[in-house]
Amino acid sequence: MREHADRVYRLAYRLSGNRADAEDLTQETFVRVFKSLAEYTPGTFEGWLHRITTNLFLDMVRRRQRIRFDALPEDAGDRLASRESGPEQTYEQMNLDPEIQAALDALPADFRVAVVLCDLEQLSYEEIGATLGIKVGTVRSRIHRGRVLLRQALAHRAPGLRPVEPGQQAIEAVG
Amino acid sequence: MREQHLSDEAIAAFADDVLPKHVRERARRHTAACPECNYAVAVQREAVWALRAAPAPSLPIGLLDRLREVPATTPIRHVPATVDEHGNAMFATFSAPAAAFVPQAAQRSRGRLTRPVAMTAASLAVVGVLAGAAVMSDSHHASPPSHIQPASVWLPVGHR
Repeated sequence: MREHADRVYRLAYRLSGNRADAEDLTQETFVRVFKSLAEYTPGTFEGWLHRITTNLFLDMVRRRQRIRFDALPEDAGDRLASRESGPEQTYEQMNLDPEIQAALDALPADFRVAVVLCDLEQLSYEEIGATLGIKVGTVRSRIHRGRVLLRQALAHRAPGLRPVEPGQQAIEAVG
Repeated sequence: MREQHLSDEAIAAFADDVLPKHVRERARRHTAACPECNYAVAVQREAVWALRAAPAPSLPIGLLDRLREVPATTPIRHVPATVDEHGNAMFATFSAPAAAFVPQAAQRSRGRLTRPVAMTAASLAVVGVLAGAAVMSDSHHASPPSHIQPASVWLPVGHR
């Protein structure tokens, strides 16, 4: 339980970029899991969790994009703002690298999902394709583009990143 | 004229070392001679390293408890049940702090739960462990009997 909760929360946080949304997404994922255990296919439990969390996140992004086009209720700005700040901010900043998270947050949602699933959750391209219902070629191009944008956002950290020499051993295979 | 550059997709796959062997070898030779592609591969890897070097967000205090309450606070129409790869029926259960998918055997040892579980189990074939990674019990919290809540709360279908 704890292990699954950790995994789901970590993914939800990386995708949403803030604690309030990550908690909501995690809780909603567990509600879905509980409600639809009958739909679970044995052997794919973690993939199933990833799929539920990721789709809930993408739903949330789409919902908010729609809200932006609709007239916002007067208190909406305050409510949204209040979710972004709070006593937990200090705690988070001690535990996370705010620059990395900000760079992730700046990515378009589709790229962010692909990069997070590949580089942090270490899913294979095929697993990501299955999770998102897209072709492997699309997965690769989203990952490529997402990483380029991420690297640009972190350009000022260049000396801090590990240098790559020609012929250097490739990083650990994904998938 | 120089050999064609690697595609974006190939750059990502080469950086991740997941290209098929013969393609990888060709890509390696090309990047060794092509500063542009070599740089593009480095960009991919540096982005990955930066991401992986960042500490993972930790589970907030209190969230785990709320997750354990999910079965108690989530209205359901059917008993959440499924069948594992061995054809054994499995169903979701939970205990007060531990939302857990507990195998029948584990529940049988806790006297209070025997009856409602057995009634539900009668309509299912064999109740087994929610296999491997799917086991959601928490060894810290699933074991003490005091944490177990009457199964009738969440097993309305099987409970008469």
